[in-house]
Amino acid sequence: MKNAKNLFGYDSLAFFGRVNASISHELKNIMAIISETAGLLSDLSEMASTGTPVDPGLLKNSTDSIMEEIQRGFETIRQMNRFSHSVDKPVISTDLIELLNLVCHLCNYLSFSGMLRVTQWVGDPPVVQTCPFQLQAIVYEIIVQHFKNAGPDGQLEVTVQPLHDSGCRIVFSNVFLKDVQVFPDDHLRNAAASIAVIIECDRDENQLELYVPSAIQLVAENDVAIQAIPADGRPSF
Amino acid sequence: MMNLLLVDDEKKFVSMLARRLELRGMQVTVCYSGDEALAAVEKKDHFDVAILDVKMPGIGGIELKRKLQERDSRMKFIFLTGHGSDADYQVGAKEAEEYLPKPLRIDDLIASLTRLDGNT
Repeated sequence: MKNAKNLFGYDSLAFFGRVNASISHELKNIMAIISETAGLLSDLSEMASTGTPVDPGLLKNSTDSIMEEIQRGFETIRQMNRFSHSVDKPVISTDLIELLNLVCHLCNYLSFSGMLRVTQWVGDPPVVQTCPFQLQAIVYEIIVQHFKNAGPDGQLEVTVQPLHDSGCRIVFSNVFLKDVQVFPDDHLRNAAASIAVIIECDRDENQLELYVPSAIQLVAENDVAIQAIPADGRPSF
Repeated sequence: MMNLLLVDDEKKFVSMLARRLELRGMQVTVCYSGDEALAAVEKKDHFDVAILDVKMPGIGGIELKRKLQERDSRMKFIFLTGHGSDADYQVGAKEAEEYLPKPLRIDDLIASLTRLDGNT
């Protein structure tokens, strides 16, 4: 089964499926609101046609609500589109702030999502040469585990720190993993290793860090492998 | 007049639905979470039917139904869900008297309420 899973890239497909399921749920909720609001307008129209007075404020609130939900729907589709295109190329220049913001949006579609903040970045964006889809999957899994254990009130802070020419460190602060027996597990470590990312977790300090090299490259065409371009070394804690 | 408890974390959806049910002569109490719903049941005498969203943060719809039943065994239940998997449908159909997908058709909800009212 393990070989078959690897053959079909099952883990990546599973991640893609999970995210799309949460997006479809969000879109369904939006459609449900528009549907109910349109239904209410229909009810009010019927009342008006029989001479029953209708509150104009209620009409305006209803139409405003529909407009807001349409915008929310467009924004959701925009995030879905960004996510879909993250598989266009296996290795590409990636703005880490943009990537983290996308993953935060995707995590907010989960029914058990909590509070999540990406620290604002000032200056030239932190760009690395990496596999954005795989890095998104790793970040997503970290955030999901935090939400599952911290509940809706658990606030997670995510910060990017450049490491001179050797890449960037992504720091997850207030990450709630105390009740998780093994994290990161082998599966996540292997996923990170596949794009030369290192995970360091300090449970006592509720902090987890990803070391993302400045560049990786494909080393062989047919038997795909990833190699980090030599870097200065790992961060110290 | 039917006395309904409506529980869903999507505030706009549940507010609009409540309005439409009130226009049809029902009395509706709206709650945005399982905890709010439990508090509402403690305060009020009796709700005929609880209309619950299946997936909510905190106490989900199925667990909420069990807790509400412990407090009022006469209460009947309708589940609403935005999830479309077969597994969700099987669970919902097993756990509640009625089960409706979102987006909702008001006529379907009224038909479900009428059926439940007829069975009391």
